[in-house]
Formats: sequence, C-alpha cells, structure tokens
Amino acid sequence: MAIVQFTKSRIAGIACTLPRQVVSTAEVAAALGADTRRIKAMTGIAQRRIAPPEMCASDLCADAASRLIVDLDWDPHSIDALVFVTQTPDYILPATACILQQRLGLPTTCACFDVNMGCSGYVYGLWIASSLVESGLNRVLLLVGDTSTRIVSDQDRSVAFLFGDSGSATALERGNAITTFVLGTDGGGAENLIIRAGQARQRMTPELCARVEMEGGNIRSPQELYMNGSEVMAFTLREVPPLFEQLLEHSGTQREQIDAVVMHQANQFLLDNLARKIGIEPSRVPSTVENCGNTSCASVAVTISSLLREQISQKTLKLAMMGFGVGWSWAGCIGDVGPIKAPPVNSLD
Amino acid sequence: MITQNQLHHDLEEMLELDADTIKGNENLDEIAWDSMTVVMFIAMADQKYSVAVSPAKLADAKTVSDLHTLISNPA
Repeated sequence: MAIVQFTKSRIAGIACTLPRQVVSTAEVAAALGADTRRIKAMTGIAQRRIAPPEMCASDLCADAASRLIVDLDWDPHSIDALVFVTQTPDYILPATACILQQRLGLPTTCACFDVNMGCSGYVYGLWIASSLVESGLNRVLLLVGDTSTRIVSDQDRSVAFLFGDSGSATALERGNAITTFVLGTDGGGAENLIIRAGQARQRMTPELCARVEMEGGNIRSPQELYMNGSEVMAFTLREVPPLFEQLLEHSGTQREQIDAVVMHQANQFLLDNLARKIGIEPSRVPSTVENCGNTSCASVAVTISSLLREQISQKTLKLAMMGFGVGWSWAGCIGDVGPIKAPPVNSLD
Repeated sequence: MITQNQLHHDLEEMLELDADTIKGNENLDEIAWDSMTVVMFIAMADQKYSVAVSPAKLADAKTVSDLHTLISNPA
C-alpha cells in the first residue's frame, strides 16, 4: 500500500505563474453556439488563462521558480534535485527538467527528471520531492504545470470550456513537518481520459492530425484529449471519499482540525459534490475554478497561491490536498504547512 | 425504494422544468438530455438516492422509465 508518513522535510515556499491572456466562457460558448449560463452554472468557470502559442508549461514554471528562489534567498547551487510534473513537456525528449536545470542556473550535480501525471500530479510531486529530501537531499524544487489548452480541441464541447494553463514551483527542504500521504491507481480507467495518438502506441501520421466528428457531435483529432465526463464523475465520487477517510485515519486527524481541503480544481460541480461527500463545508474547500478553470496538475498549487497566500505566509495551516483523475490516479496528503514564502501569483506575457 | 414520482420531481428540479412536466414515458432526448445532464444525474443519484449509477448502463438508457429501472436496480 502506498501509504507513508514523512517527518524530516517541509515545504519552504510555493509560487505560481499564469499566462496573462484571458478567455471568457461567454466567448467560447458564443463560438460553439452553446448556452453560456448553463455552462457557467455547471462548471463554475467564468474565465481561464490561456498560454499564447509560443508559451510552454516550462516557461510558466521557470518564472515561478525564479521568483521563489529569490524570495527564499536560496543559492541555486544549494538545490540538489528538480522534479517537473507535466503532461505537456517541451519535447518528447529530452526531459524538460534537464532544460530547466540549465535555465534556472542549477548546478550540474542536480538530479533532474520529468513525471507524467495530470490531475493527481501536484500531490504525487510533493510525495516524490518529499521522499528525496527524506532520503538525504537538502533542497528540492518541484515544478508542476501544464498548458492543457494546447492539447484540447476548441470544437469539442466536453473539454473546450474547462482547461486553463498554469505553472507552479514548490520548494522543499529538510524540516520536521509531519505529512501523511496516500496514493492509488486504477489503470482500468485509462480509456476515459486519453490522447490516443502521437506516441509509441499510435505514431502520428498526417491522417491522424485531422479532426473528425465524434460522440455527441464533438470534433477532435486523435492527438487531442478525449474525456468521458460521466465516467470521471463516477470515478471521483467512488474513490475520493475513501481517500479522504484514509488520510484522516492514517494521520490521526479530525475533520474540524483541518483549515482547508485543497482539491484538484476539476470544475465547481464536482468540487461541490465532493465537499458534500467528504463532510467538509464549502468555506473550507477553496476554489479557483471561476477565474482559472481546471489548471490540471498545478491546480492545487494555484489555489494555495491564489487564496491561502496571506494566511500561509504568516502561520501554520493544517492542509489536506487531494488530486484525482487521468490514469485513473489519485493522491492525497495531510500535513502542517507554513509559514512559507508565498509570493503573489504572477502573470506572464 | 425510490418512487417514480420522486424521480420525476427530482429530474424536473435538475432540468429546471415546470412541476409535473415529466410523466415517465418520455424519451430522454425529449427532455434535453445531453452529456452535461448525464453527469448531473450521476451526482443526483449519489446525493439523493445513495446510488452509484454505472455510466455505461446510463449510456444505454433511452427513456425516463429506464432511469427509474437503473436507480432501482443499480448493481
């Protein structure tokens, strides 16, 4: 079982960067002839940040990391590892983490690697980065970000309204925070959130670049994201409440002790249903869905940076964080976080 | 046991329809059934009836009556 408690590491800082460019739900709905009110009522999304074509997730993460390193007054040469969690890397190879090592001025003695995870990616990344510190490294940078808008069809109503782009940087170092992690996987759900073409299983051909009409009139190509929304909802209602219960049990935490449950920001309808299912009132389930949409793997960090920044800069918060989705994959943690460096969210042109 | 009337009332509320609009013999495409309402129905069944609806079985439902059968025999 992937259940573990760490005691020798801590989060030192979290920073996030979003593209400056905004697109509203009303604009997209108008283009698709959809009902804006209904979509906003369901998803809770009013607008999202969209990266321009030349901007990658690594650019957003590099901006966040550069600012965080300065705020922490860390010597880049004191950083022993960089973990980059993304599903939109710069290239198939090399690992984008290697490029980020040079870009951020990290030493060549630094271990750097990419992790391909989506909705559960931030908590997965925290688990990996914390493990590295617990294993003896001094300082680790965890960069988590996606430009999901690059991999969805704007003619596919099941996904066209949902995703926003973002990048985050989280700094971890030796400390004595107690953090409990629970992780899980069910590859039986792989078909429900998938990009079929473009890698080894189905190499890209000119024919596969063409968009075609699929279920429900949605138009996309095999190199763009397919999402089965009803399966996502059923999976989430099935797996996330037990994940939360396991976290409470293994950390010895009572619901009322938790300051905030920061969940993957899939959409507001799903967040509201999960809050109800896990027995936490909505005021302790922060949401950045309205202005950022579903920011994929970085959504937990974006929500902490956007909504908990002032509190967590000044005091310790008991946070539960949970990510769940593509895979199926899920991961949660409960621990004390703060005071940490948490600079304001930056917008990148 | 969830009654047909209860289901009709809950569907009317979910779909923002006037009361007593749904009689039970409607085809789902007559009540603006789409991918969004499918997701809403799964959440509603979970919340109101404590039933985990199978998305695959739900995809096969053609009528309001089929929905009642589904939530009455979810396994």
